[in-house]
Amino acid sequence: MSSIDGGKDLPRPAAAPARPGAPRHEVIATAQRAWLTYLGGMALAFLPFVAFINDAHWLNILALTYLMGGLAASWNIIGGFGGQFSLGHGVFFAIGAYSTAIFVTRWGVSPWLTMIPIAIFAACVAMLISWPTFRLRGPFFAIATLAFNEVAFVLANHAESLTGGPRGLSIPFKAGLANMIFRDRWAYALLMFAFVALVIALCVWLRRSRLGYYLLAVREDEDAARAAGINVLGVKLKGMALSAGLTAIGGTLFTMYLRYIDPPTLFTLPEVGVKFALLSLIGGIGTIWGPLLGAALIVPFENWLRSAYADSLPGLSLAILGLLMVLAALFMKRGVMGVIDDLLKRRRGKGAS
Amino acid sequence: MDIFFTVLVFGLLLGGIYGLVSIGLNLIFGVVRIVNFAQGELVMFGMYGGFFAWHWWGINPYLSVFLVAPLVGLLGVAIQRLVIQPLQHEPNMQIFATFGLLMLFQNLMLMVSRGEAYSVGGQVGSTVLTVGDLKLSLVRVVTLVAATLITIGLHLFLARTMTGKAIRAVTQDKRAARAMGINVEKTFLITFGIGAALAGMAGVLLTPIYSITPGVGGNFILAAFAVVVLGGLGSVWGAYLGGLVVGIVEAFAGFYIDPVLRSAVWFVIFLIVLVVKPSGLLGQVGAEEVGFREQH
Repeated sequence: MSSIDGGKDLPRPAAAPARPGAPRHEVIATAQRAWLTYLGGMALAFLPFVAFINDAHWLNILALTYLMGGLAASWNIIGGFGGQFSLGHGVFFAIGAYSTAIFVTRWGVSPWLTMIPIAIFAACVAMLISWPTFRLRGPFFAIATLAFNEVAFVLANHAESLTGGPRGLSIPFKAGLANMIFRDRWAYALLMFAFVALVIALCVWLRRSRLGYYLLAVREDEDAARAAGINVLGVKLKGMALSAGLTAIGGTLFTMYLRYIDPPTLFTLPEVGVKFALLSLIGGIGTIWGPLLGAALIVPFENWLRSAYADSLPGLSLAILGLLMVLAALFMKRGVMGVIDDLLKRRRGKGAS
Repeated sequence: MDIFFTVLVFGLLLGGIYGLVSIGLNLIFGVVRIVNFAQGELVMFGMYGGFFAWHWWGINPYLSVFLVAPLVGLLGVAIQRLVIQPLQHEPNMQIFATFGLLMLFQNLMLMVSRGEAYSVGGQVGSTVLTVGDLKLSLVRVVTLVAATLITIGLHLFLARTMTGKAIRAVTQDKRAARAMGINVEKTFLITFGIGAALAGMAGVLLTPIYSITPGVGGNFILAAFAVVVLGGLGSVWGAYLGGLVVGIVEAFAGFYIDPVLRSAVWFVIFLIVLVVKPSGLLGQVGAEEVGFREQH
């Protein structure tokens, strides 16, 4: 553990100076530029909120887009930066959702108070179940996380006194800022925006931090990373803890928005665990903006498909998502961000010659 | 004691089902090393094939299996050629691609069937054998027998035929097999095709037991992965044995602990095996090394 804990005292790795004549995309962004990009990107993401502030239908879609973007970005920390394809993030999502609902319905505790402790609890659970599974590589890890998701699903159905079992839990409507329940949709959309802004800010920081570089090193070549003195297991556990904690916060927000949760809503793979990965894939796995971009493309599209074809062609939206997933895996492995990156490179290449 | 025996027999019969659906995955996951999340959907296609053959032309499932299984096998060959082969060296993208296929197939069938559950009616499904005090469902006995016969057949195929030997060679060492003049890509294609055909076969044989819905594959896929890992990757008898173990564990857990928790119990066993002895019960030591390495 010690080898990666020293990061805080040491000076940050200096950003590479911009050499004259070096192609621009090879220059590591300075901290200043990274945060300026962050502000610009978040401002762009905020625009639709301003545009649709009076449109309840679009505010709902926006709230879900921001939330899914934040959740996908949380998954991306361990799945994208760390290269550990967890399909079991539904477990941490559900921990956030159920714990919040239980505290609210039984003891009337404000979700604002429990949000962070629950996130820390989810991070601890994540480290506990990941510690043995991180011995597994690639597909074996994915299958194991899938199995955790199934076990949690079965347990959630079984533990009726706690989770309400198949009947689920619903939260009574008591509007008020302290209860995190609002009359107006825009307040929820704003809340979800704050969530995704927080997650992406963490990603910007992480991407330039020691832990972030270690995660990338582990993803690229675990053995080489270990040979370079990186505590591979420790790095993975830290990445997983951060990812799971943020996912649990997403679960809290989800619960307070829908005010009803049951096991299928929290554990169905194409809607939760795999969805986070899918959004990241479409946008660009391992990039800072990819997950949000993926959510911005997919969530409204899916919503439209659902409302237009739910009766005439049930399953159409998920069939199309599945097809998109196959095509992206085959032809667009780096997602939309990768396509943008290639286009920019080509333009620069032409400009130089 | 009587109860104990009844549960044991029930578990064995259930194990036959799990063994049957896992044989195909064992080839695909154990030999070609593809995490095929869409395997359960191949079983589903087999079920629909069996159902429609019965519904439209009145063909008994035990007959139509000879038509449906090769068709599902062809679908498997197409999947391998178009989706899997280009991703041969990218396990993470295989996960996405095969899970995408799962979602695509499942929801295509949902669009076709509009969520209506089908089942093959008639005498076959409800016949009960009485042996002493035991009442056995005939189709479940047939399923166990079929699983056993298919396992024996597959064992003979892998042990005796040239193609089977090529498949085994590729399992053990891809590079050495290539050096011996084996066409590795073609072997993968054949293996994947056989694995898919076996899934289709399992599907048809299960039509008298399960009601057929688009999501039915979800009942099998994790069980099949558990069976394959438990039995040992690429081991034919391992998959058979693993199926029986999972079936018996589920039966006992369902009876003595809680029916709701029955699958959770073998999931936990599966996770323990995965972490502690990833080569499984009958797997060659090191057979799992492609996906697994010790951590310091």
